[in-house]
Amino acid sequence: MSSAHRVDLNPCFVLHQRPWRESSLIVEVFSAHSGRLGLVARGARRPASPLRGLLQPFVPLLVSWLDRAELGTLSGAEPDGPVLPLTGKALAGGLYLNELLMRLTHRHDPHPELLEDYRRAILGLHGGEGMEPVLRVFEKRLLSAIGYGLLLDREGGSDRPLRADRSYRYLPEFGPVEGGEVEAAGVDVSGATLLALAEERLESPEELSEAKRLMRYLLEGLLGPRPLGTRMLFRTQSRR
Amino acid sequence: MPDSPLINRLVGALRCLPGVGPKSAQRMALHVLERDREGGRRLGETLVEAVQRIANCERCRDLSEHPLCSRCADRSRDPGQLCVVETPGDVLAIDRGAGYRGYFFVLLGRLSPLDGIGPEHLGLDTLEARLRENEVRELILATGSTVEGQATAHYIAEMAEELDVRVTRIAQGVPLGGELEFVDTPTLAHAFSGRRELG
Ligand SMILES: [Zn+2]
Repeated sequence: MSSAHRVDLNPCFVLHQRPWRESSLIVEVFSAHSGRLGLVARGARRPASPLRGLLQPFVPLLVSWLDRAELGTLSGAEPDGPVLPLTGKALAGGLYLNELLMRLTHRHDPHPELLEDYRRAILGLHGGEGMEPVLRVFEKRLLSAIGYGLLLDREGGSDRPLRADRSYRYLPEFGPVEGGEVEAAGVDVSGATLLALAEERLESPEELSEAKRLMRYLLEGLLGPRPLGTRMLFRTQSRR
Repeated sequence: MPDSPLINRLVGALRCLPGVGPKSAQRMALHVLERDREGGRRLGETLVEAVQRIANCERCRDLSEHPLCSRCADRSRDPGQLCVVETPGDVLAIDRGAGYRGYFFVLLGRLSPLDGIGPEHLGLDTLEARLRENEVRELILATGSTVEGQATAHYIAEMAEELDVRVTRIAQGVPLGGELEFVDTPTLAHAFSGRRELG
């Protein structure tokens, strides 16, 4: 086994932080270099620490650390461009993305392209783009990065291309199938929605609500029985 | 260090206090035993009594030795204003520094969905019942400017809006990631007078 090695000024976002000992933090970051990882930030909870305001979610960072098998040690952090403060519903959306990354990626499993997808999603939420399309596109790219990419151009088990005017049943890990016998698993979705999701241009209310149901179904299959904590932040939606 | 299991136990117990590491715990233990046994006895008795008798106010959740704390029992305060804070320390800071004369509600934490801390842990059902009494004209959100403090403010604001209660947020003169307890009095007074409409 190689010993600890140093990583310098690597693009990162903080996903979560929790207190550690008297004045330190353990921050969970999503990094370009090694995906998700836990870092001890010594003294970061002292009132005068410059890290205090910096090690927050949605702040693009360049982070240096000493890499170890379990927890690394943070040795420095600086802002990488302007802070992207999220407020209100967009903040709930951002926290939801963070929870997905916490739950569905493994520590030390690099996904540099997913970090850029995440950055784009946060920018979209910050810029007031419609939240639902931003969340769906990120969910789609996350599933693809962790090896559960959706089949969105042809029917599962065939090379028949999808047609916008047809209805399909989407079966997890198989793809969309048209008509045929009623399956216990899967979720009904129109060809138009699948094609819009493929091209990342979800627009109509039907497409948005179908895509949401589809993604929710697929994510729940991967997340298991423990529900997402951030769902509770969407208070008005959950009551509708 | 004298060889005594009881001294070791005392040193270990003192380390439950914030900012007290092994060295300062040892210094405190030896100080009490060598120079101030009377003070040590008083500290011990008071600690035991405080831990037994101080609970949370039924109305605002602040620490109190009576079912209703002295602030909630103070009828001269303005029932039209209710200020929501994260900690008992925040109540002290605002009451001392901000010239505020309404009532308080203490969450004793903040929403932290990734840690499984939800509305039920923060007494938000109690807060909702309070708002339904229809006395509160302005709900002032003074949760911290951390991401979780803001998520908490957003959640409570939506709840209050459903009940048609006006919501304001203290101005963010407080640094990002800062918590009210660490903010000096003029900054806090400024943040409080500069509160703005939310929603
Ligand atoms: Zn009270």
